[in-house]
Amino acid sequence: MEKKYKSSYYGHVVKIALVLIIGGVLAVMARDKFLPETMGQYGHYRGSDLKDQRQVAVRSHTNESCYQCHRPIRLIHKAGVHKTVSCEFCHGPFADHVKDGKYVAKLPVKRDMEIKTLCLRCHNKIIRARPEESIKVVAMPQHLEEKKVNIDHNCNQCHMVHDPILWIKAAREMMGLKMKGETK
Amino acid sequence: MIDIKKEIQKDRRAFIKNVLSGTIAGSLLMVIPAGAALDERLPEQLPGMRGDDSPFTEKKFAFVVDVTACIGCGSCCVADKNEYNVPDGNYRTWVERYIIDDHDEVFVDSPNGGLDGYSKPRTDIPNPVRDTFFVPKLCNMCEKPSCVQVCPVGATYKTEDGFILVDKDRCVGCGYCIQACPYSVRFLNPVNRTAEKCTWCYHRVREGLLPACVNVCPVHARKFGDLNDKTSEVYKILREPHVISVLKPGMGNQPALHYLGLRREVV
Repeated sequence: MEKKYKSSYYGHVVKIALVLIIGGVLAVMARDKFLPETMGQYGHYRGSDLKDQRQVAVRSHTNESCYQCHRPIRLIHKAGVHKTVSCEFCHGPFADHVKDGKYVAKLPVKRDMEIKTLCLRCHNKIIRARPEESIKVVAMPQHLEEKKVNIDHNCNQCHMVHDPILWIKAAREMMGLKMKGETK
Repeated sequence: MIDIKKEIQKDRRAFIKNVLSGTIAGSLLMVIPAGAALDERLPEQLPGMRGDDSPFTEKKFAFVVDVTACIGCGSCCVADKNEYNVPDGNYRTWVERYIIDDHDEVFVDSPNGGLDGYSKPRTDIPNPVRDTFFVPKLCNMCEKPSCVQVCPVGATYKTEDGFILVDKDRCVGCGYCIQACPYSVRFLNPVNRTAEKCTWCYHRVREGLLPACVNVCPVHARKFGDLNDKTSEVYKILREPHVISVLKPGMGNQPALHYLGLRREVV
């Protein structure tokens, strides 16, 4: 007769099964606890983040927002060749100036050399790759020499920054001069 | 008897409390301005976006950068920094200057990401310069984004309308996506230690506004619009014959950012 060595004691198997089951349940519970509620709503990401992304404050506005209060400058800026230049580029973001429809702080005013630096960011001829048909570029200080003005003159002494040829046009009209290439 | 009195007292107190809080709240509401509605201050630039609360729009957005128009003024970089208060030294968008000399050697630089503009010419170029141009860079919003694929926690994802966004709360700052991006548009925000990148101004677009950089570009080198709209400018540009290309097409990411007149030196 063959002897049976097979044990009839299954305690260790039960223990392992219990540990696995409890571990599994704990893992599922922990996953539920730590995963955000909307995770996986639309894909492998937190669905509610789509709403959160929209909560970012709009800090830069459009020129139209500025024109709502700054009426006189609107007429000049919109009529000139600088109409596509953003107010906020030179003056700073709207949100630093107006919050919830209320004035909060003054935006810094650009003066003297700051103005020249700003002008030359776009109009500097030395930096090539600026097509003449889209922007008028000048070389400094050759431009000043050519126009026979003092070499330390600032751009805004001849050019109205919001409409660069406004004063020049006015002066020409007063003196009865014609623009280059213009015939009577 | 005493009980009834108490009850009345209690009610009276509650009544006075209600009336007082009501009047105070009411007068406060009148004093504190609710702020003019967005419609009043900002005209809608992208039609049909405002007031749309659905998680995804029906639109297919595309971004076109006209390299031949860019003058390298850096308005876009300034607007971007203003909009997001991007920490110094990190750039969500930047402008590169390419200089090609007559020996076909290419020089690329981007001092401070173009944030201060280009005020000085490069002096270290030995040969006569043949051509110079500017290339603005930003998130390519790939059809098959590598960054989304590598994110271990599902913080970076692609929305059904094509935006690739980063969930600040989920991001653990491991930096996998920063390495995976073929266009190097991502950086680790040094303040909150999470990955950050250009979102094509998702919050503005959902309010019907153009991205901040598109809005300020003085020469209209940056264009943004809906490809499902047959009348939009980007649809016409991508439809009509132009020299259009994307950056690193060999990577197979299929960007939604297209460049008009892009030179082979850049690709």
